[in-house]
Amino acid sequence: MLIKQLKRPFQHKKVPISHVSKQQRKRAKNTLGTLKRIWSYLAKERFKLTLVILMVVVSSALSLLGPYMIGVAIDDFIVTKKSTGLGILLIWLVFIFFMHSLSIFLQNYWMVGIAQQTVYHLRADLFHQFHRLPISYFDKRQDGDLMSRITNDIDNINNTLNQSVIQIFASILTLFGTFGVMMLLSPLLTFVTMTIIPILVISMRWITKRTGPLYKRQQSHLGELNGYVEETVSGQHIIKTFSQEERVTCEFNEKNDKLYQTGFWALTISGFIPKVMNMLNYISFGMIALVGGLLAIKGMGNVTVGVIVIFTEYARQFTRPLNELSNQFNILLSAVAGAERVFAVMDEEREETDEKNAKELPITTGHIVFDQVSFGYDHTPILKNISFEAKPGESVAFIGHTGAGKTTIINLISRFYNYDTGKISLDGYDIKNIKRSSLRSHMAFVLQDSFLFHGTIRENIRYGRLEATDEEVEKAAMKANAHEFIIQLPDGYDTILDQHGSGISQGQKQLLAIARAFIAEPAILILDEATSNIDTVTELKIQEALKELMKGRTSFMIAHRLTTIQEADQIIVLKNGTIIERGNHEQLFSLRGHYYTLYSEQLREIVG
Amino acid sequence: MKTILSFLKPYKPHIIVAYSLMLFELTIELLLPFFLGKMINDGVLHKDVQTIVMWGSIMITLALFSFGAGIANSFYASHTSWGFATDIRGKMFQHIQRFSFANLNKYPTSGLVTRFTNDVRQIQHTIFMALRIMTRAPLLVIGGVIMAFIVNAKLALIFLITVPLLTSFVLWVLKKGTAMFNQVQRYVDRVNRTMQENLAGIRLIKAFLRSNHEEKRFMKANKQLADMTQSTFRFIEASMPILLFVMNLSLVFIIWFGHTQSLAGTTSVGEVVAIVNYALRVSMAISMFTFIILAYSRAKASAERIQQIFAVDVYERDEEDVKNSPTISDGTISFHHVSFTYPSAKQPVLHDVSFTIERGEKLAIIGATGSGKTSLFQLIPRLYDVSSGDIFIDQEPLTSYSLDHLRKNIGYVPQSSLLFTGTITENIAWGKTKATIDEVIQATRNAQIHETIMNLPDQYETKVGQKGVNLSGGQKQRISIARALIRQPKILMLDDSTSALDVATESRLLQAIETYDCTMLIITQKISTAIRADKILLLDDGKVLALDSHEELLQSSNLYQQIVASQFGKENLHAH
Repeated sequence: MLIKQLKRPFQHKKVPISHVSKQQRKRAKNTLGTLKRIWSYLAKERFKLTLVILMVVVSSALSLLGPYMIGVAIDDFIVTKKSTGLGILLIWLVFIFFMHSLSIFLQNYWMVGIAQQTVYHLRADLFHQFHRLPISYFDKRQDGDLMSRITNDIDNINNTLNQSVIQIFASILTLFGTFGVMMLLSPLLTFVTMTIIPILVISMRWITKRTGPLYKRQQSHLGELNGYVEETVSGQHIIKTFSQEERVTCEFNEKNDKLYQTGFWALTISGFIPKVMNMLNYISFGMIALVGGLLAIKGMGNVTVGVIVIFTEYARQFTRPLNELSNQFNILLSAVAGAERVFAVMDEEREETDEKNAKELPITTGHIVFDQVSFGYDHTPILKNISFEAKPGESVAFIGHTGAGKTTIINLISRFYNYDTGKISLDGYDIKNIKRSSLRSHMAFVLQDSFLFHGTIRENIRYGRLEATDEEVEKAAMKANAHEFIIQLPDGYDTILDQHGSGISQGQKQLLAIARAFIAEPAILILDEATSNIDTVTELKIQEALKELMKGRTSFMIAHRLTTIQEADQIIVLKNGTIIERGNHEQLFSLRGHYYTLYSEQLREIVG
Repeated sequence: MKTILSFLKPYKPHIIVAYSLMLFELTIELLLPFFLGKMINDGVLHKDVQTIVMWGSIMITLALFSFGAGIANSFYASHTSWGFATDIRGKMFQHIQRFSFANLNKYPTSGLVTRFTNDVRQIQHTIFMALRIMTRAPLLVIGGVIMAFIVNAKLALIFLITVPLLTSFVLWVLKKGTAMFNQVQRYVDRVNRTMQENLAGIRLIKAFLRSNHEEKRFMKANKQLADMTQSTFRFIEASMPILLFVMNLSLVFIIWFGHTQSLAGTTSVGEVVAIVNYALRVSMAISMFTFIILAYSRAKASAERIQQIFAVDVYERDEEDVKNSPTISDGTISFHHVSFTYPSAKQPVLHDVSFTIERGEKLAIIGATGSGKTSLFQLIPRLYDVSSGDIFIDQEPLTSYSLDHLRKNIGYVPQSSLLFTGTITENIAWGKTKATIDEVIQATRNAQIHETIMNLPDQYETKVGQKGVNLSGGQKQRISIARALIRQPKILMLDDSTSALDVATESRLLQAIETYDCTMLIITQKISTAIRADKILLLDDGKVLALDSHEELLQSSNLYQQIVASQFGKENLHAH
């Protein structure tokens, strides 16, 4: 029984290592170019960097000198029992050791500074770039991907700069230094020490050839398991109401077992590495002692007791950098790949700058005219010959199916995208001739996803106009029907919202977004699906607040529910990027066209 | 910690073997300098070739033996740590499946996933290291000191100063360093949060011209992070050269003192060499302490987090006498003065709710967010139990049914339509074990999704869920409705699950459902949907505000009129 149990670890099923999905390693495509750009950041700290390199040279040299001096001390004073000069030698030794530690301290101290400065600038530049990118860039990508650039990729660069740079450099120096000194002391014994290198290389290759694919496979099994846990936990209400607990437990165990088999082999085989290193250390220790001892008594190859001591220490220093180099090299490669991804974002084309003759528009009446405007995206036309006029204070509503071009019109008004042909004008000026900042300063947005920042309610409302006073904030909240619920919160206006707006409902968030628009006092108002996904009771409040907000402002709105837009001065029905009907509610209703169909469809439901 | 460690019990023999192997390796490492000293004294100084060859071959042979032991240790350590981790994962998953809903809600999904991944891995890693290097380092320090004393007690006295000094120094650095790292982590979180917010809100930021404002905010967080990281790393990295210096000083001392003693004839060259060697190994081991303690404290925190899960022992269970559970045949539901308060909350979410739905009737529930609609729903499959009052199904109290039987007769479509990773068929057949393909198609036809599925590239074999194709909200809703319909439930519950459907599709879907012999409850925001129900329950702040048909409510309820008006316009309300 016990024997059987003890045999178990050797009886694991072999996991095939070849058939692993060819997931291309995240390697850099343009390593040299990327390194050059990293250098441009490092070059800002050129002086410190020179000092670091100097210190690495010093510390590497001193780390060779220390054991050498100890060997000399043993040979010249302890073996021979001489005393004169030992004091001086020991003082030198203390000095060498002190300088050694000091040089290590300084190289670390400066390198940490360089690394942090570099990472700081990288993060800053990346963030700066994010704000210069056109909206289309974000529309095409997932937030998670961009996030991983600023966290993982920059973190990778950070770690590499902190550790790998010094380590790689020092390892190479130590490797050559040790080899050189060993050769000087005794070429014969050096040769003996070197015999372990082929063993080291062969066994490392044997191991990494297996662990590489095994770890990849383990990673994918682990990902699968994570996904499964996430799914079953967030779907627990479904599992419970469908009584499927046993089934999911079974499936989980299957996945868990797969992970176990792969994980066992990955860990076992990679666990061989330190064992191989140890063995080689011990063997070289024994060989140096054996061969060195024999050489010493034969008086061959300048070997003395001291030399044996030096060699046993050097042998250790020699194998370590070999191992280190192979580790650090992989880290370095992945950091370069990370840096490349960061730079790729920085190279993205920025939002076009304003035209040269673009001017400020300090005040506006909010008179907007679309004249034969067309717009396409990736060679697909989205809007075709759109013309309409929104007089100051008028409200214009857009309706139509998804993809009809409603949101695009709004993107053009705010110049998130640039129109291709035709002309959009504000107070008679082509909006291309108005500075973007000036144009947008006259607009306020209430979007479907009422985005709130981590901060207090007060700060979130004030976001619409940063210099607004506390009274103005509260006034805006009152107008937006938000004051009532805010003061009922335990901390009132100082309640801290986190990004997911915990504690307040979707509808209440929307009320805050309306307050934020109120405080901006814009001439032009843009409402994109501001009332969808909200419960019916809160919706009443929102509609009231919106009506108030729209008073005296030119407003453009998109809404699902036709009731929301019934009172608009103009309703524009879009289909496939063209205007198919326009007019106010009564006109469109009597037209008995597209709008009428949409409307009566909803109406028929109510009357039954 | 105790429960976690109890998972190690089945691996006791493996642990013992792993430790024995590790001790064997350690002994060899400690013997090597001793033999070197012997060889120098007896061999080299006496010019005795045979002694040299003997000690040399012994050392090389021992090295090979230690390698063998090391490899065997890898197998045992890996078997133990992976077996342990797999057992914990399995048990934890099983445990969570038995959680009641109230328990589950205490832990956010991400928190649970972290426990399965990082936390288990952390402990597993620590156990693996514990069976190899972690216990080895302290033992090496102790063994090294003892061997040094055996070789030459007087010379070894230096260890009594350096070892305690260095050990306490390392511990101090660690304690301070950990606190600093925690601070760094907080700054990292802040930078990430600002970034995340900016990505999510970029449209708004651009619209409100707040790029500069945001950049200022970000740069502040960025600067703080860079500064803190810099001082933390500098602090930690300064400790290494100091440690190195103290250790090297002790070498100088050994040489000096060794020399004095060798003059007096009490110490031999070989002994000095051996002790120098021990000093180097001991200080290497001490520098490992940082890493060991960090790993241990991380593992401890992880163990505590996992412990929390196992400590929860409030499972859902059936009442005692459910063996003779009655059978649900009609699906009438009645609530008698039901009140409900969430276990962790103070305020009740439902007050004195009473209503009855007969077999085959349809009840629509409308109300504001937070009025208690979903809470009311969750009471029927007993995801939660009522605080007071009673719920009856077919005139029998809810608790008299076994959970299994009760839930088998309910088709529940939750608000967020979650699909599991797998094919569409798998997802729908999920509702009924051993469902035939005809049954699946029947359900999808009724749920108005069959045609959409047929237009997908792989039709019913299309992969959905996390790694699958992107379905629209409405498509997902209809698949999850099909999943409920395939069970032919006596009670069908739709929690706002037709919100993304257009009017025509929804209308066809509701018509198809009418062919099923089931009692139906439907939560909705749309009046157009509610109108189809036999009764409409208007829920406000956990209380039943009104319960009647659409026509009656139009006459009697003020709030209802307002809601209808907001969705259809006032003039139309009375025009028809």
